Amino acid sequence: MPSNLKNNAGSWLGARHGRKEDSRLVVGEGQYISDIVLPRMLHATFVRSEYAHAKILSIDTSAAEALTGVVSVVTGADIVDELRAMPQPVLLPNLPAKYPTFYPLSVDKVKFHGAPVALVIARDKYIAVDAAELVAIEYEELPVVVDPEAALEPDAPIVNDDHDHNEIFSMTFTGGETESEQESNAKAVEEIFKTADAVIKERFRVHRTGVTPMEPRGALCSWSDSDGLTAWITTQRPHIDRLALADLLDIPASKIRVIAPRDQGGGFGVKAPFYRENIIIAHMARKLRHPVRWIESRHESLMNVGQERDQIHYLEVAASKDGKLLALRNRGIADTGTGETGVYWGFVMPFLGAVEMPNGYTWDKADISLRAAVTNKACLTPSRAFGNLPPRFAIERAIDMVAHKIGMEPADMRRKNLVSELPYTSTTGEYFDSGDFIKVWDNLISQLDLVAFRKEQAAALKRGQYIGIGFGTGVELSGVASELMVPMENQPGYGAATVRLDPRGKVQVFSGDAPGGQGHETTTAQVVAHAFGINPADTIVTTGDTGTTPFGSGTIGARAGSYFMSAVHKACTELKIKIARILAHDLSIEANVDDFNFTNGEVIYRSDPTKKKKFTEIAERIIMHPINMPEGEVGGLDATAFFEAAKPMICFNADFCIVEVNPTNGEFKIQKWVTSEDVGNVINPLIVDGQMHGAIVQGLSNAVFEQFIYDEQGQQLTADFENYKLANAADMPDIQITYAPTPCPHTPLGTRGIGEGRPSSVPGALTNAVCDALTPFGIEITELPLRPSSIWKKIQDAKN
Amino acid sequence: MKTINIKINGAMYTETVPVRMLLVDFIRETIGLTGTHVGCTYEGVCGACTIHLDGEAVKSCLMLAIQADGHEVTTVEGLANNSEQTPLQTAFHEQHGLQCGFCTPGILMNMTEFLAKNPHPTDEEIRHGLIGNLCRCTGYVHIVNAVREAAKIIG
Repeated sequence: MPSNLKNNAGSWLGARHGRKEDSRLVVGEGQYISDIVLPRMLHATFVRSEYAHAKILSIDTSAAEALTGVVSVVTGADIVDELRAMPQPVLLPNLPAKYPTFYPLSVDKVKFHGAPVALVIARDKYIAVDAAELVAIEYEELPVVVDPEAALEPDAPIVNDDHDHNEIFSMTFTGGETESEQESNAKAVEEIFKTADAVIKERFRVHRTGVTPMEPRGALCSWSDSDGLTAWITTQRPHIDRLALADLLDIPASKIRVIAPRDQGGGFGVKAPFYRENIIIAHMARKLRHPVRWIESRHESLMNVGQERDQIHYLEVAASKDGKLLALRNRGIADTGTGETGVYWGFVMPFLGAVEMPNGYTWDKADISLRAAVTNKACLTPSRAFGNLPPRFAIERAIDMVAHKIGMEPADMRRKNLVSELPYTSTTGEYFDSGDFIKVWDNLISQLDLVAFRKEQAAALKRGQYIGIGFGTGVELSGVASELMVPMENQPGYGAATVRLDPRGKVQVFSGDAPGGQGHETTTAQVVAHAFGINPADTIVTTGDTGTTPFGSGTIGARAGSYFMSAVHKACTELKIKIARILAHDLSIEANVDDFNFTNGEVIYRSDPTKKKKFTEIAERIIMHPINMPEGEVGGLDATAFFEAAKPMICFNADFCIVEVNPTNGEFKIQKWVTSEDVGNVINPLIVDGQMHGAIVQGLSNAVFEQFIYDEQGQQLTADFENYKLANAADMPDIQITYAPTPCPHTPLGTRGIGEGRPSSVPGALTNAVCDALTPFGIEITELPLRPSSIWKKIQDAKN
Repeated sequence: MKTINIKINGAMYTETVPVRMLLVDFIRETIGLTGTHVGCTYEGVCGACTIHLDGEAVKSCLMLAIQADGHEVTTVEGLANNSEQTPLQTAFHEQHGLQCGFCTPGILMNMTEFLAKNPHPTDEEIRHGLIGNLCRCTGYVHIVNAVREAAKIIG
């Protein structure tokens, strides 16, 4: 267990340090994709499908090509012989699935409203848009399927013609490896249900929604015969994009440099996949020998990406009358859309959601299965809470429903069933490495007087006021270990960092990951400052450039606080060992790194503090004057380190909220939202607070406002922010974050990765509070979004 | 095409632009001030393109460049005075009022005007003042804190 990591004076770890990124961002000097321009740059616009499912009979590009300023118009037919098809092996999970074959532009047919059909490239972006309007496409409509259960029926229209059904993926998470073991487990689960005191059985439906970043996607690609391709892409994983582009364009990876812009306007998982648009932009830059830029419009973005959740769960829960959860049985169905997205293919999110379904509760037995169906909708793209928001909503609601059935306080039921001793392996095989769930829970409960609240609730009811409290908890991934990443995404989980000192004692850190607002420049600088005893101002961070950074699987899955920061610390430690060896040699003493204190810009011999040297002087001595060195030592101070934890790691949270519901119209107001977090040792509480606020509001916005709507013809009706409503400031409550940390024993600084899974537990807690407020009506809500109109209808149904 | 004269952040620009060019494109692409952002489809919902037109906060995606002919524009780049940030900019840094920073320029422009008109706002007034600016990262909590702290300093 790390010992010296308390938020004590003098340590940069735990400091509420203002962000380094801000100095450019608050004065308008951010460097986002659309701020980058190159000489001779051309502008690309996609022509997208008006139909959800249709044959392409003909495409007439002549009018578009005739427009002055248009350089090129390409269609699917033009590129099938010039590019390799998706999927490529680097983008395939090691999971058995019916992967669709496709090209960056639709070939022969379109599979969803908004699918790319043609690309117009022009000297001016206004002209590109004009020309796109002139591309004439003749379609023949095909039968459409937009419902995942209908898509799994035997006579359903086939979405991907290279397969004979629409089930892209299925899996059973029932104890045991062999069929007979699974069968006996299923039987044991059935036995529990037969004899349990209380059973609930419900269909839970979570709509299609996600986390749309404020900056849409974009790509700027440039080609030269000598250097190959340079591609600026809005991406969370530039190193994977590089490999995929190499395979698809059939050029060596060594001739591709992918650069994630220094500033990205949010990612939240939406910029994590490998996207088809980037292939054609890169290809056309090579073909035209002009830089080509595509900046996605908001309309395009809402048609194509940021769509997640969209799952149905037929959930059964069995419990004893004293409130012990006994068994969980679930049949999950996910609507993946077309499945045409590299790395995730629409089903990896619901797959992980099913794995995480038991949450931090102990179940004697579980029998969980998942079927993922392709439909004529945009392919799901990851969104923060990665596949886990729908099952978490179902479980957190189900616990309250069982508690109501047996007449138990839902808070007590949670505490009774939380995993009380870690490490622990869940019924689906998910490993919880460390932490103290009970401590986190008790810290949450200490933030309120529940007995007093129940009294006040009863008194309020007499006054005609309906107030309620709801709880939710969440076990979330703290980074993704290779053990899970290799099967799930065919990529490594380790963190990688290069730490380079310059001769003036300043530090440069290089990361192959690509953040989008998480403050990595600041937290990295704090970790370096802590290691070397220097100031965070002395460290600069370069991210996301495959030409300069070590390989990284990207800014995903809360990998920074867990894996990347650990790699930074490890690289710093390697350099400290070298520094100590050379300094001991120079001071003619026998000493190693533990004998020196790196503090306040000096390296001090602990046994005799008069023996010391300035950090800047040591850097200059080792880098610039590598003479009179210890035997076998050479100059230079540059280290790349890789960090992999022995086991997958987690973080944990518990929330409560208090709402007031107006039963005459179903409107509700969140009066209070309080959390308790185990995020391990915190590098920067200011940043962690901000991550939690953002995640919770994303969960609330998903639960209450946002919804992608497709009509029965597959027309997407919500492709602007007027119709796809995001929560604004006036919609949202203040949020109180509290901490009950257990340092992670598996990272060198005791840190945990945080923030990614965090929205998951929010919709359940909110809906529990609304149902609690409406206890007199006996209402149990099992569907999202949670709208005043649907609450009002439930109340009317209950009254009748 | 039309020739227009616009003063931006104190500097006078005379440019000939297509009549249909949006003011936000003129600022970003013709002049090269890229601090003003576009986050929606020119529908005025996200607020990332908010600027000051003659001192009033407006959304520059909802105007043509030619409509700003003869007027004075301030963008986020024009807030700081010789590298000295305004109290609002400083407060956004100190209170961690931004994460990805994409919406931030528009929020700064809107809240600069807001605080000028309402120097002692309540939290609720701040939240309502922010309705025209969408932020996806922060959950708004730190933004409200930043505006409140800036008000204390300015007020």
